[in-house]
Amino acid sequence: MLELADLVFVMLGISALLSIPATILAIISRDLLRAVIFSALQSTMYTLMFFLLMAPDIVLVYVAVSIGFMSLLIILLIKKVGRYERY
Amino acid sequence: MKGTRIRDAIFIASIVFAVTILAVPTLLGALGHMPPVDVRTIAIKYLNNTYNPFNQSIWTSSPEAVAAIVWDYRGLDTLFETAVFYSAIIAALALYREILGKKDTLEGRGLSIIVQRSTAISMVGILVVGFATILHGQLTPGGGFQGGAIAAVTSVVAIVVFSRLFIDRSRLSYKHLLVIRNTALVGIALTAIIPLIFQLFSNQTTFIFQNQGKAMSGFSYPHTIADAPMGGSIWFYNLFEGLAVVSAFSLAMIIVFYSEELSRKTIEGEESGF
Repeated sequence: MLELADLVFVMLGISALLSIPATILAIISRDLLRAVIFSALQSTMYTLMFFLLMAPDIVLVYVAVSIGFMSLLIILLIKKVGRYERY
Repeated sequence: MKGTRIRDAIFIASIVFAVTILAVPTLLGALGHMPPVDVRTIAIKYLNNTYNPFNQSIWTSSPEAVAAIVWDYRGLDTLFETAVFYSAIIAALALYREILGKKDTLEGRGLSIIVQRSTAISMVGILVVGFATILHGQLTPGGGFQGGAIAAVTSVVAIVVFSRLFIDRSRLSYKHLLVIRNTALVGIALTAIIPLIFQLFSNQTTFIFQNQGKAMSGFSYPHTIADAPMGGSIWFYNLFEGLAVVSAFSLAMIIVFYSEELSRKTIEGEESGF
């Protein structure tokens, strides 16, 4: 039978596995704006994992920095260097 | 074309390898119980002493053990961590020293009025959450740095949505932010040495970074205000750290968002040395 602790473990696994395709898509995406969105999705999954690992302090700072600051800074950079990646 | 295909294959293979090597031992229980079912002895020690009104000789008067460790048990660590953070911010500001505090040449208008109005409403919410995290740092998870980072998102969003010109015209100017940041840093230092100043005017022994009274020194910060645990000096440290983080992040973002025409001036003449 599933207990509450097992449910936490299952959610941890699901969010960890969901973060992998987001990371891969962020790396291989040619559209850099889309890559930022995938990277923010990966950060959201990590936030959930930190919360499930009982580290709410880290969650509070990770949400603000990785989803707010990082995305805005990289979008600013994309505005200067162009949206599409060329080989 | 062939080169990229081989590269993609190596990339996928290495991702699969990394996931497998992490997932299989975890599933087999290499990390033990997830989440852990027992409490370690050091955790028991902290939990017993952090908020124990029946043994006030070694308590911190903060129900939040993490805040107590960060600003009381390991307070000096956090002080130097803060020093490192502000050195980084000062280094970033020093790179732009020639244009600091100048008005931007670009006259931006920001996004549409609908976005501006809805952002103005949600900005209040972000600020409230940030300052609630700062001021409740001794009761709930989070504290100065966390709340400051949340509240600083407001200034970044304001720059993007309302344009830089809006920030230049508002009271959130470079000079004011600098004053807030410096006041907050002086506040952190003062909170640490107020016990020593207290010692000058009384006959008691006190320690630097002291929070609550110990067996050999009677100095204590107020531990409760109207029945709410205040955590003594932890509340003050959280408040000043939060203000300092808000202003420092806002400063860094304001200089990063200078228009290219102006920020190009800072790298002029680099061929003849900095």
